Order: sequence, then structure tokens, then C-alpha cells
Amino acid sequence: MAPILLWLIMFLCLVISVVKYLMGLILRLSFPGIKIRKDYTWQPTVSVLLPCYNEGRTVYNSIESISKCNYPNERFEVIAQDDCSVDDSHEWMLKAQRDFTNISIRVGRNSFNCGKARTVCNALQHSSAEIIISIDSDCIFHPDAIRELTACFAEPGIGSVGGRVGVSNPNDNVITAIQTVVYYAAFELYKIPENMTRSVCCISGCLFAIRRELLLEIEPTLRARHWFGIPVNQGEDRFLTHQTLMRGYGTYINNDALCWTAVPTKLSVLFNQQLRWRSSILRDLFYTLRSLPTHVFKLHPNTIFTMILTPLGAVIALLMVITMLSTNPLAWAGPEPLVVYLGIAAAFTWAIKKYSVKETIEHPLAFGAYIAWSLASSLFITPLALLTFDSGDWGTRAKAPEEVPIGRNNP
Amino acid sequence: MAATILDETHEPEKPRKPLQLIAYKVTLTLYRVFAIVTLYAVLAGILSYAFVMGFYAISSSWAAPLILSASDEKSLDFMQKLVISRQSIEDLKVDVVRQQTTLAEMDKYRASLLALDRELQTAILSKQNHDQLTGPELAALDKQKQADNRKTQDVLAEMHQIEAQIKSDLAAGLITKGDAATQLAALNQANTDYTDSRIADVMLSDSILDKTTVGTKTLEVLEKQAELHSDIAQLDVTLSVAEKQLQEDNRQIERLHDAITIAKQSPYFLNTSGDKRLYFAFVPYDNQANATVGAPIYDCYLNMAFCRKVGTVKQIFLGEQVINHPIFKNQVRGLTILMDLPHPESAKSQTVFLGRKPLFF
Repeated sequence: MAPILLWLIMFLCLVISVVKYLMGLILRLSFPGIKIRKDYTWQPTVSVLLPCYNEGRTVYNSIESISKCNYPNERFEVIAQDDCSVDDSHEWMLKAQRDFTNISIRVGRNSFNCGKARTVCNALQHSSAEIIISIDSDCIFHPDAIRELTACFAEPGIGSVGGRVGVSNPNDNVITAIQTVVYYAAFELYKIPENMTRSVCCISGCLFAIRRELLLEIEPTLRARHWFGIPVNQGEDRFLTHQTLMRGYGTYINNDALCWTAVPTKLSVLFNQQLRWRSSILRDLFYTLRSLPTHVFKLHPNTIFTMILTPLGAVIALLMVITMLSTNPLAWAGPEPLVVYLGIAAAFTWAIKKYSVKETIEHPLAFGAYIAWSLASSLFITPLALLTFDSGDWGTRAKAPEEVPIGRNNP
Repeated sequence: MAATILDETHEPEKPRKPLQLIAYKVTLTLYRVFAIVTLYAVLAGILSYAFVMGFYAISSSWAAPLILSASDEKSLDFMQKLVISRQSIEDLKVDVVRQQTTLAEMDKYRASLLALDRELQTAILSKQNHDQLTGPELAALDKQKQADNRKTQDVLAEMHQIEAQIKSDLAAGLITKGDAATQLAALNQANTDYTDSRIADVMLSDSILDKTTVGTKTLEVLEKQAELHSDIAQLDVTLSVAEKQLQEDNRQIERLHDAITIAKQSPYFLNTSGDKRLYFAFVPYDNQANATVGAPIYDCYLNMAFCRKVGTVKQIFLGEQVINHPIFKNQVRGLTILMDLPHPESAKSQTVFLGRKPLFF
């Protein structure tokens, strides 16, 4: 029974991963109508929440890019909230406040370091806009980003809208080249079938727009997230998306709403980032399984499959790598995986060069190194994520948040 | 635009119940203990795995014990080939004996034909010599005979008058009938003799012709001689082919014997032929230098540590063996050794080491 179940899960994971990419390609080419109906004339008030921790000058650049948005200045504001950075991030935020006077910028600071999710909640307290856009403080935004995001809310039932995250440093090194391909494939193919059913399972926290009333409804749950008493600060984007869906709203990623992020250039930073993401994926899996009947009645089957099989795929990948290393340790070193990966790289490099010139990869052969990374990712990150649920730091930032002792109330 | 510095303000969380706090604390503690133990175990596993991989990548003394069984596919295949080879030898031996008998018979027959040929040749030469001598003499006699016959013919021509005289004498009563009959019979006898003489003359001409020219009888004899020569030539060819076949069969038998001799040195033969349990091991070519007869064999715990001597190398088989690497699982070429293994349980180990302990303990 167990092997049959394992094979079934493996098969479904394969369906979810491979077929979804193919589905995405087919849908993109065949059904342009799956795109959301946008209304640019509807211009709600917008609050851009900018949680920040140890970003330094980057936060200034990020605010600068927002200040150049093609959206009526009087219709939006920036609320920058510092989570007790130990560097000069707060000074840069204040400088931005002084320099970009064409828009409303409010700068706040937490009384203690409490993580991104709670920092977003704290910023939300000072917003009264109709649409809340939560962004990452290390991103540079396209001038049309806000306009594109708000236009999608014209479709009734849409609760959250995300943007496309592009890589601003695709050619820094092998690591960034690989991430460029992965980002591009995720946004341009993998999420397209989810877009079709308006049920994207994870909208990136880099550019996350949500209706105010919905976020206010979710906020207590977001703030109260904990794991056996330890506050959970990671994966607030996935959590918010999930909660949006559970409340009967639709989610959508508008690939015309662009922002650019500098992806990690060091393996250690990438590892921490991936560990954080994997951890949030696995938390989400447990949450989904815990309330599976509710999910079955409320969500689209495509969404449930994605929510369950994507994280299960990571677990299965771990088992597969262990099996492979114990039965045929040199299987990964053969030419077949390299040929497959380079073939994928060639296809995506061509597509990126054609459709996203800014992300053009100079050395597509670098993607061959993804074999080693995928092995390491499957082998180390999944078990580490499963065994570090009690950790709740920002991941790629230097300083960990203070752990709230059990029973201590947040101030 | 107004700039405002904000303080974080929000509703405090509801205090948790003491029982829940205890449950959380216990769960967290258990989780952390489990996580730490597991992560250290994973770390140890990864390091061990990496060490094992590195160790086997550079080790030049490992060998992989092979447990051969008579029912193994290779053993069965080997024994089947051996039986077929032996059967082939037996078949070839029967063929050789039959060919040798046939060859002996053919040799005898050839010898008799050669003897006959010699006799025939002698007979032909004797007859030719004889004819050369008697031919001219007969020709001379024939001429004389012809002359005699012509004279006899003249005499016989006169005898017609004598016959008429006899008949007139009888009619005249000069002689009696009896005398007349006697005289006429004598005349008739003379004619008969003449005819015989003519016949003899003709016969003599034939004899002369035979002796002085190549006649049909001579040709018949020569034809028989040619047939005899052809038979001998054909027999020579058949003999030559049969001898070559015999030589080839003998060589084939030798080759099969050699092959069987070599095969008997194969671990598969040794394994299936004796009653005693034999222990073999695969040695990759890279480690061949350590595979010397008498070299000590070590078996280790954890595939490499805490080793003990479990036997020695007894025999080295040069035939190539290909197996999957016990650790890397890729195909490795090498040879087989026979181990003298007082500790038979070591034959079940994944690897053993030849010559020395791999980590010196």
C-alpha cells in the first residue's frame, strides 16, 4: 500500500510540476482571454506598506522608485516601518521622507524587533486606504506597478493581486543566472494555470496588493500566528494569499505589474532564503492538511492540489535524492541531467532574451550548475526546514528577531 | 507632505492558559531535542557518506566478496558451455577414428591401384616389345604365305583338268569307282586346304595389323590405364581432404582441451566441481597490485574501520569480471581472486581489503 501511495504522490507531483509548466505555456499561447479584466479608470486610495530590516541604502532606492509611480500622488502614500534595524536603514527612510516630498511618506519604527509579518501589521495600523500594497524594501518598482495592481481589483471577487518579480542582477554570477531562469519560469509559466482559476497559491511578498477590509479581517490571524507559542514571522505572503482564498476571494498575478529585486549572490544567503521559503511552504502544507475538509469545500481543486502537492513534492524530492544517492550515487553526474537542464536553460534563455530583455542571461550554460543546487536544495533544505519551525528570523538579514517568550504579550 | 514618526501600537494578545503554555513548552522542548538529534544525525550521515565516497574513490585495496552458487546464471551458463565443449570433443574423437579408418582403407585401395597400374604398364611394355619383334617376322611370313597360296592356286587350277581326267577315266572304265572317289576326295581336300590357307593368311594380316599399328585393343588397354590413373588421382584428392579434415579435427580437439583446461581454472568451475565451499572476491584493476597470492585479507566494521585479518589470497584468476561498484554502483572491470577464508562470514561483507588495513586500525 505504502509504495503505491508513494508512487501516486510522485506521479501527482510530477503532474503538478511538469504539466503545470506545459499548461502555462499552452494557456499563454492559446487563451489570452485568461488575463484579468483591468480598469485603469478606477483609482482607489493606496497605502504602500514598506516593512524594512537592515536594508541600508536599498530602502531609499526602493522608496525613490515608488515616488516615480504613474499614479496620482494624492491617491497613494508610503508607510515605511523599520523593524529595529541595526544598520542605518531608518536614517535612509527618513532621508527618503525628506527627499521625495512629491508623495506622502510616513516613517515608523517598531519598539522591538518582531519580524516582517508583524511589521506589516504595525504599518497597517496607520493606513486608511482602500487598497494596501505590501512590498519588499529591497525592490525597485516599475512606474506602472501600482496602476497595474489596482486596475485588477476592478474584477469582482479579486481579493489579492501580485506582481511579477524580475531579477535585476541576472549576470552577477552563476547563482543569479539560475535564479533568473527559475523566477521567469515561475511567473511566466507555473502560475499561469493558477491565474486562470484566479487561485494563485502564493503571491510574492515583493509586490502584494490586497483589499483593505480583507487585510484587516486577516490581520488578527496574521498577527496571532505562532508555532507552539513562538511567533511565526516568515511566509506572510503565502499566508495572506492562502487566507484570501479561504475567505472566498480570488487571487491573481498581474505580470504587467513589475518590480525588480537583486537576488542573492552568495550561496549562504540563497540557502537561507530558500530555507525560509521552504519552511513557509511546509507550514502551509500542515495548515492545509489540518483543515483539509474546509479547503475541499471552499477552494478550487487545482488550488488544493497545488497547495498539497507542491510541498509534498519537496518531501518526495528529498526521498528520491536519498534513494538515488544510496542506490546509484553517480546517477546525477551522468550526461543526461546536464543535457536536460541545458535544454531547459536554452529554451528559457531564448524566451527571456525575447520577452524580458532586462533579464537576458549572458551565460546560459551556467544553468547546468542547477543540478548540484537542486540536489543540495532537496537534500538539505527540506529536512532543515522541517526541523527549524521554531526559528522565525528574517532569513537573509543579519540579525534574528527577539523570540517572544511563551505567554508574553506583544506590546 | 507631512512626515510622521510612528510608534508601533496595536491590541495586546490575549494571555494564554497555563495548561496550554505547559503543553507548548513540552512540545517545543521535545521538538527541539528531536530536531537537534536528527540534524546532528543528518550531519553525521552526510559527513560519513562523503567520507565513504571519498575513501572508496581513493582506496586501492578494496575487494568485493562474491558468493557464487551452482545455480547462478553465470555458473549455469558456464557449466552448459563446458558440457557442450566436452560433447564436442567426444563427437570429434569419433569422427577422427572414423576418418582414420577410412583413410587406412583408402590408402590400401590406392596401393592396390598403384600396383595394378604398374603391372598394366609392364604388360603394355612387354606386349609392345613382343609386337615389335614378331610384327615384322609375321609380315615376312605373310608375304611367303601369300606366295604359297598363289602357287597353290595355280596347282588347284590344274586340278580341274585332273578331275575331268578322273571322271573320263571312270567313264571309260579305266579306274574303279572307288579309285575315282578316293582321287576326287584328295582333290577336294586340296581345295579345302587352300581355303584354310587363305583364311590363315587373312588372320595373319590381322595379327600383323595389331602388332604394327595402334588398334582398338591397344586403345582399350590405354583407356583402362587412363581410368586407373584417374581413380588414383581422385583418391589422392579425397585422401588429401580427409587428412586435412583429420588434422583440423585434431586441432579442434586440442583447442577444446586447452579451453577446458583454462575453464577448469575458472572460479565458476571450481565452485561447481568441488564439495568444499569456496570464497571468491572481485578485485578492480586499479587494486590489482595488492592482489598477490598469500596477501592478507581484512574485513572491517563500517566498511573501513576496526579491521581484522580474516584470510589470505589463495589464487588469482586472470579472466575479466565486470561488476557494479559496491558503493558508486557504476560498472567496474577487474579480476577474481579465490580467498582462503577461515572466517566465512566475511564473505558476506560488502567489501574486504587486501594487503593492509585501510585506515591502519
